[in-house]
Amino acid sequence: MGPASLQARWFDGRSSRARPVALQLWPSPGGPELRLQALDGRCEHLAFRHGDVGWPERWSAGRAPPSVMVDLGRAGSLQIDDPAAWQAALALAGRKPPLAERMQTRLTVLLAVLVVAAVAVAAFYRWGTPWAAAQLTRLVPMRWEQALGTQALAQIDENYVKPSQLAPARQAELRQQFDRLAAEARRQPPPYRHYQPELKLLFRSGMPANAFALPGGTIVMTDAMVARAAREPGTGDTALMGVLAHEIGHVEYRHTTRLLVEQGVLQAGLGLALGDVSSLISSGSALLTGLSYQRRHETQSDCYAVQLMHAAHLPTAPMADLLLAIDRDPRSKGTDSPGAPASAAPAASSASAAAPASLTHPGRSVDWLNTHPDTAGRAQRIKAGEALDCG
Amino acid sequence: MAPRQKIERHTVEFTGSGGEYFRVWIVNVLLNVVTLGLYTPFARRRKAQYFYSHTFVADSPLEFIGKQRKMVFGFLAFAGLYVAYEIAVRTGQDTASSLLFFGFALLLPWLWGSAMRFRLASTRWRGVRLAFTASWKEVYLASWPVFAIAAVWTAAFILIDPMMGSAAPAAKDAPAFAPKAPELIWPVVAMGAVALVLTLLCVIRLEYNYRRLLVARARIGGQAGRWKPVYGDFVRVWLATVGMFLLCLLAIGLALAAGSALVGRGWGRIEGPIGAVLAVLVVGIGVVLTAVLASLPARAYREARMFQLVWNNVGFSHIARSKTDLRTGAYVWLRVRNALLTLLTLGFYRPFAVATEYAAKVGSVTLWIKGGTDQLAGQLVEQQGAFGDAAADALGLDLIG
Repeated sequence: MGPASLQARWFDGRSSRARPVALQLWPSPGGPELRLQALDGRCEHLAFRHGDVGWPERWSAGRAPPSVMVDLGRAGSLQIDDPAAWQAALALAGRKPPLAERMQTRLTVLLAVLVVAAVAVAAFYRWGTPWAAAQLTRLVPMRWEQALGTQALAQIDENYVKPSQLAPARQAELRQQFDRLAAEARRQPPPYRHYQPELKLLFRSGMPANAFALPGGTIVMTDAMVARAAREPGTGDTALMGVLAHEIGHVEYRHTTRLLVEQGVLQAGLGLALGDVSSLISSGSALLTGLSYQRRHETQSDCYAVQLMHAAHLPTAPMADLLLAIDRDPRSKGTDSPGAPASAAPAASSASAAAPASLTHPGRSVDWLNTHPDTAGRAQRIKAGEALDCG
Repeated sequence: MAPRQKIERHTVEFTGSGGEYFRVWIVNVLLNVVTLGLYTPFARRRKAQYFYSHTFVADSPLEFIGKQRKMVFGFLAFAGLYVAYEIAVRTGQDTASSLLFFGFALLLPWLWGSAMRFRLASTRWRGVRLAFTASWKEVYLASWPVFAIAAVWTAAFILIDPMMGSAAPAAKDAPAFAPKAPELIWPVVAMGAVALVLTLLCVIRLEYNYRRLLVARARIGGQAGRWKPVYGDFVRVWLATVGMFLLCLLAIGLALAAGSALVGRGWGRIEGPIGAVLAVLVVGIGVVLTAVLASLPARAYREARMFQLVWNNVGFSHIARSKTDLRTGAYVWLRVRNALLTLLTLGFYRPFAVATEYAAKVGSVTLWIKGGTDQLAGQLVEQQGAFGDAAADALGLDLIG
């Protein structure tokens, strides 16, 4: 005596004519097995192992469609017109529904997965993307970064800046100090093994007080920055060296490359995961997390600058004062210099590792709302010779 | 004389609901989040199975029997290529990225054909599978408008280029795309307009060719699809669509002008960088919204008219004809309402929108079948890999819709 029989209509795949059958579900270690017996006098018996049957999913706990179809592969399909009896027989034969089916029929399972998803998203954001970006950045050759840097510099020279007005002697003086700092940087263990590009300092005019690092080791400082440090009491060349140490940090940590990779990883990952909700949500969250990574890069460079200045036996307080002075000055915020890129001008509060990246996205004028917040807090930490979250 | 066979009327019915599909969908979204998107091919199969298993044709539901393994492989292959392309673009490897791009463009007809093969072969009704039997030669011949569009724009650029001033560094303030001399503006504009019109005609021809091929080369149980519409029918629908779009644009333009006249006085007070950022944001969002809102009724209108055109004029050999009583106005309103609700709910209304639009279309169809539903004979259907299907999905050619 086996399990109870169910009536069904069998379409054997050879024609669209329905054949009446009786079916039974037998428990087995791998899941229920299905046996058919044709009732149209042709006396056919068929047995299907669990894996050979496409078991129809249960879509909701309450309601079932009028009929369900069971996929028998080459043997055609089985139409069951009493879904309730079918479900009962399945349960009796010990079928374990897959996770997706349990989620849509049981609220507790759905909520549990919701919690797991939230944790997964947080972990992806906190560790996943930065880790993936670090691994991928290792694969990017320095040659490519240098080519990108040269290209970006050409673009900047053509569109946003003019040659420096500083006296050659003054330039040489600053460059000498910078070279000492760079030599000190070479004595530090590099964050990326074997990544030690030649560090080069350039001066340009035509932009407000600013400094930025291009990928591949070129650092640009504006005349306005040099003038500002000369004007502001208690800052001077030491402050400029602090700013340059911060920029060296961007170079050493390969922040431009990392940002490109991180944005790629984020866009791909979030696009796939949330694209079906709406592109607004997926691209919005990609943008926001991208900005937060950029903030993290700034903190990382601050930490590096503090460390490097200590190693070079230089004080960090002047740099902090310079940051504060630029931040206080209303002229350096906003768009007081025509022709300056929208994202570079407000980034006056020191640096934008993503200068070339920003140039490829003109119009991202909201950058400064997010990448350099809380300048006062930053300056205070730098002044105290420590930076929060250095790790 | 052959005995007269009775012609029976069979309705097509969708028995699913938006609320139920929301559950299916949210499960897909959550599992996709947990697996960082790798669940995508599984989610697509579940979605297809939900809609198919709730679509009843003459009292038997459709079945989606696409193999999960194939869909996973298709997805991974496509994702791999896509990532390679993105890396090539982002790292500035121009040769590699343009090679990938042009290779992809050349492959487009093959991708479409292969997606259709996979989808039709994955559809079963009463144990009998559909098949798409067009040969690759037929698919590529039907794709001539794709290459015609490329030719039109290549020709246009070759003709226009010498008339344009090169963006000399000295004239940085002048817009980069200004013609060298003012008297050349009109020829350039006219040429652009001609190229646009030709492109539109090619797009219509492509849509016509593909739909025709899809129906005419569809088979179920040895019965071939029948296709009646002609190219002119498609052009008429498109002309009406363009007219509809211009009307919407006009209406929204008037509304915006009236609105900005009212609001404009309040704007002046917010100044400084915050005001500038706000203004940019408002204008940006406004432009996007206008484009979406103005084109939405037109797109919905086109969809409804195309659906009517196709489903009132196709069938299977001499045994089946279809009719639809889809009402254009009601469908356009449904689409507009769904789009607004989707926007307001940040996308969480989407499953309801998908289900109601699908129900409106599918539920409007009636089949007239001569000789009963038992007469189809099963045939061997060639299997097809799912790479084209994954690519078509990524390009917006949805399985359901």
